[in-house]
Amino acid sequence: MMISGGGGGGGGKSSWSSSTSSWVPTTSVSASGKRIQREMVELNNDPPPDCSAGPKGDNLYHWIATIIGTPETPYQGGIFFLDIKFPIDYPFKPPEVVFKTRIYHCNVDPDGRVSMGILKDDWSPALTITKVLLEVRSIMTNPDPYNAVVPGIAHLYSGDRAKHDDIAAEWTVRFAK
Amino acid sequence: MENNAFRDQIMEDNEHEEMPDSFVCCVCLDLLYKPIVLSCGHMCCFWCVYNSMSCLRESQCPVCRNQYYHFPTVCQLLHFLLLKIYTAAYKRRESQTLEEEKKSGFYSPQFDPDTCESQAKFGHSGIPSSSSILNLTSNSCNVGTSECLEQSGSTANEGDEGTIFSNREPDIIGTPAKGKKLPQEELSLQQKLSVADVTCTMCKQLLFHPVVLNCGHVYCQICVINIDDEMLRCKVCQSPHPRGLPKVCLELDHFLEEQFPEEYGQRRDAIELQQIKVKPDTPSSCSLDGGKKPENTDWWSDPDSKVHIGVGCDFCGMFPIIGDRYRCIDCKEKMGFDLCGDCYASRSKLPGRFNQQHTSEHKFKLVQPNIIHNIMLRLATAQLGEGSIDLESIGNIEVTSDGAALFGDGEDNHNDSEAAN
Repeated sequence: MMISGGGGGGGGKSSWSSSTSSWVPTTSVSASGKRIQREMVELNNDPPPDCSAGPKGDNLYHWIATIIGTPETPYQGGIFFLDIKFPIDYPFKPPEVVFKTRIYHCNVDPDGRVSMGILKDDWSPALTITKVLLEVRSIMTNPDPYNAVVPGIAHLYSGDRAKHDDIAAEWTVRFAK
Repeated sequence: MENNAFRDQIMEDNEHEEMPDSFVCCVCLDLLYKPIVLSCGHMCCFWCVYNSMSCLRESQCPVCRNQYYHFPTVCQLLHFLLLKIYTAAYKRRESQTLEEEKKSGFYSPQFDPDTCESQAKFGHSGIPSSSSILNLTSNSCNVGTSECLEQSGSTANEGDEGTIFSNREPDIIGTPAKGKKLPQEELSLQQKLSVADVTCTMCKQLLFHPVVLNCGHVYCQICVINIDDEMLRCKVCQSPHPRGLPKVCLELDHFLEEQFPEEYGQRRDAIELQQIKVKPDTPSSCSLDGGKKPENTDWWSDPDSKVHIGVGCDFCGMFPIIGDRYRCIDCKEKMGFDLCGDCYASRSKLPGRFNQQHTSEHKFKLVQPNIIHNIMLRLATAQLGEGSIDLESIGNIEVTSDGAALFGDGEDNHNDSEAAN
C-alpha cells in the first residue's frame, strides 16, 4: 500500500503502493467541498465572538471574513477584513489567510499574510475556520514577537510597548474604520 | 452555482435522516464511515486517516497530535454498530464514498456481516487455523468487488444495498441483553441494538473501557492489560500491536454507558470487586507516554536507514516502511500490496488493508528504496536541517545501498523509480 503526501507538511508524491500509476490525490473536490459546506453551517449556527466569515460570491473555496478589534487592544473599534483561500485538498492542507485591511502587527507581513504555526507545520485536519479565526483574534490581543515576520514591529513591541500600541492604534484609525 | 448545488445536497442529506450527535469524524465533520480508532482512542474515517497521514515521517492524530507509525485497520465492530444505529446516514456515506473511490481507483476494504460474526466466533477458541483465515478473507474480497460491480450498474437501486447489508438478526454470542427498563426515548435504539453487538473479543461481555488494537479488534481495557506477552498481540488475528497499550476510546465508552446503563454498571461493579490492579500508568487521557520508543524514531536523521517513502506494510500497517520492502508482483490492484521485512518473514496470510485480493500463492520481490528521491524529498521538506548533508554522508548512502538503486542493475529499480516519480 502507498500513501499520498499528507497533512504533515510533506510534499511527497507517492501512494500506498502503487507501482504503475503516479500519485493520485484521494481527496476529491466534492469531499473538500462538503467539509467546507459543513463548516459554513457550523459557523452560522455558532459564530465565534466578533468574527464572521462566508464564501465570497459563488466560489466555495474563497471566503471573506471579518474580525472586529477586541476592546482594550490598539485594534479596538477597527473592522479587519480577511481573505481565506482553501486548497483543493482541504482539510489536509491548511487554508491561506490574508489580511485585506492593513494592520500594524509583528505576525502579519506587509502583504497581509498571517504567520501562525497552525497555518503551517502545526496544521491539523481537525482544525476549522472557526478555530483559525479565534487564533487570529488571539494573536491580535497577544502578538508573538518571537516568531515575528516583521522584526521592526516585534522589536518595538518588546522594547517600547506604549509606542507600538500608539502606532497600531493610529493604523487602526487610518485603515480599519 | 456550484455553491448552491452543495447546499442543496446537504439539505437533502439532512432532510430524511437523523444527524448523529456523536460518532462524527473530526476531519470530514460527517458521520464516521469505516471508522478507525487510533491508539490514542480518537476516531476518524478510513479515508480521513489515510489522507491525513504523512508519507515522510511519523503521522499525528488530528485531535491530540499523538504520533503513530502504523496505519490501523478499520474497526469492524464500530462499522456494523454505526450501520445499525444510523442506517440511512451510513448508507448515504457508503454510496458517496464509493463514488469517490471509483473516481480515484483506490478502494477501501469491504466488509460482510457474515465474515464479521464468524471472526468474532472463533476469537473464543483462540488461534484460528490459517486456512480458515484464508477462506474468510478471499470471501470478503469477493463480496467487496462484486458489490462494486453491482453498484456501478445500479447505484440507486435499493435492492442491491439490501442484499449486501442484509438486516440479519445478530447471533447472540455473549451474554444476552438483560433488563430493558430504559426510558421511552431510548427504546427504539435499544431495540435495534443489543449487548451482543458490543462485546469484548476476549471476555465476550459488554465492553467496559473499550480499547481498539491496531488490527481493529476491540477489547476491554482490563482484558488487554491481562494479556501477558512481551509484545501485545491480538488474540483473534495474532497481529502485533505496536507501541504499548492503546488508550480507551472514550466516545464509544460513553455511548455504551448511556445505552446499557444497567449492564455497564454491572461490569463496573464486577471489575471493581475483582480488585484487578489497573496499572497507574494507563489513564484514559489522550496523551501517550512514549512507551517503548521504537528504534525507527529518527530514521530521517539517519542517512543509512532504508526508508520507502510513501509505502506502507499491508499487514502490520507500518508507514512508511523502514528496512526491507517486499512488493507483491501478482496483485493487480492500483493500490498494490507491500510487506515490511518482518511481516514477509512471518508469512502473514491476511489480505491487504484496502481491497487487494492477495493470496498466499502470490510472489514477492524485494524492492530497493529510491535513494535519490528520498534525499530530494527530505531536502525539499527541510527535514535534514542545514549542513547535515555533506559529501561524506552522500557517499555513505551510495555505499549502503550497494549502488543498486542509483545505477540500476535490473528492472526492479527502474520500476521503483518510475513509481516514485
